[in-house]
Amino acid sequence: MESSAAADPFIGAGLASLGIEADEVDLAVMNAVHQLLWPPTLELLSLDTEGVEPERCPDMSRAPE
Amino acid sequence: MSAVLDLGLRAQAAAIAGGDTTPDELLDATLARIEERNPTLNAIVETFPERSREMLATAPPGPLHGVPVVIKDEWPLPWRAQRFGAAELTAPTAPGESAPYRALRDAGATIVGVGNMHELGAGSTGNVSFYGPARNPWDTERCPGGSSSGPASAVAGRLVAGAVGADGLGSVRFPAAYCGLTGLKPTFGRSAMEGHHMAAITTLIVSGPLCADAGDCRLLGSVLAGEELAGGDAAGLRIGVVRDTVSEDVTPEVASACEEAIEALRAETGGQVREISLPDLEAATLAAILIINSEAMSGTTPERLNHLSPELSPIARGTLKYRMLLPAAATAQALRVRTMARRRLAALFDEVDAIAWPTVPAPAPPLEMPMVDLPSGTHTADQANVRGAALANLTGIPSISVPVGSSAEGLPIGLQLQATWGRDELLLDAAEALERANGRRWVDALPPLAQASPTEA
Repeated sequence: MESSAAADPFIGAGLASLGIEADEVDLAVMNAVHQLLWPPTLELLSLDTEGVEPERCPDMSRAPE
Repeated sequence: MSAVLDLGLRAQAAAIAGGDTTPDELLDATLARIEERNPTLNAIVETFPERSREMLATAPPGPLHGVPVVIKDEWPLPWRAQRFGAAELTAPTAPGESAPYRALRDAGATIVGVGNMHELGAGSTGNVSFYGPARNPWDTERCPGGSSSGPASAVAGRLVAGAVGADGLGSVRFPAAYCGLTGLKPTFGRSAMEGHHMAAITTLIVSGPLCADAGDCRLLGSVLAGEELAGGDAAGLRIGVVRDTVSEDVTPEVASACEEAIEALRAETGGQVREISLPDLEAATLAAILIINSEAMSGTTPERLNHLSPELSPIARGTLKYRMLLPAAATAQALRVRTMARRRLAALFDEVDAIAWPTVPAPAPPLEMPMVDLPSGTHTADQANVRGAALANLTGIPSISVPVGSSAEGLPIGLQLQATWGRDELLLDAAEALERANGRRWVDALPPLAQASPTEA
């Protein structure tokens, strides 16, 4: 199990700023989740969606207008 | 009586309507079957015979009159608050009448038990639960799939003929595939949901039926929808296949079974198969994860997270805390990706009637270590499974998992079909066509545990 010292600075800073407590087990899990989710999240953020107007109050039961 | 217990949902309803058995006899036999098999499967976390008998005593005539069913631990019952498979919940619970409960009651069904589930609905395997894991009747050392693990295990083990699950990121389809069942994720909003534990998840989750075959899913799905999902014709079905990670990064057995099934479906319906493109599928998967995480955390405070029960699994505790850190900009971007995906699908469904790909890339992994070996390497089952499921939840389209084969180890393989909004009936028609094409080989297959049947009324 990774120690808290190995946790990504993003996690430590985020927890501190929100006032969320985490023990070493929490941090190890968070680090593992972070390693899985963060790279694709960065890719998602860099995806060109300029000009894509999100649907307003989309009706998920139907095709978009 | 064991012969009636091994029948499907339609056949049990017909046996009662035709006087071949009585609802009381069927209920008693079902409870005996649960007592016999559930210690092995841990599919059902609670039975309440007196409540079931009361429900039966007041059951109205209806399509499921006197037929025993199981409901996932995700909705309250008038006599029981849901636990969501967890030691502690992030939202308060209380007994009550949920919409799926009312739908079942009004159809005359008898709820005989609550189905186990993956803790907090947060896994595709079912190997983590407050109650201990449910087990796969095909191999009790294997995952039953999640998060609707108990409902699937109960139906596959022939404890009951039908169960209600919920699908927020594949949670009906994964266990259907792992347990050799048919599982329908209806179009968003079409099936009964009110009273669901995570009321804040407003755009992705639906209730859905888990049954042996498509006809039974049509029956239970109609009850949940409050309208008949009428049978039709899948003639001339235009099937789209995607040559992408989701269909290519799968085990050779899964690839082969699914390709064979797609060809059989094409031939049975006199249809066509064509290759299609779905750009940014990986972004769509992440978008669904971000949106459901964001919705699920609505109302959760840092203070609340500082007082989580130590009985929650370490994975749940860490994941809940991590969710609070996800940037709002990513969720906003996810909403744009959702819009893109919905528009692309709307255009695509002008050209094809159904999109087909494997439900899961590998058969059920071991409970102890739910990892899967794929051409791209070894992955957690969750990581691999979500790729094929999230698009339907992100966009709202209906989807169905149909059993189409078996691995060398005797584990089921599932094919997923997706259609445009509101065409749930077409998916059931296609699933029935596939059953005809393969002579019902896979929907009638019984796991070893269900083949020896000492249960008698």
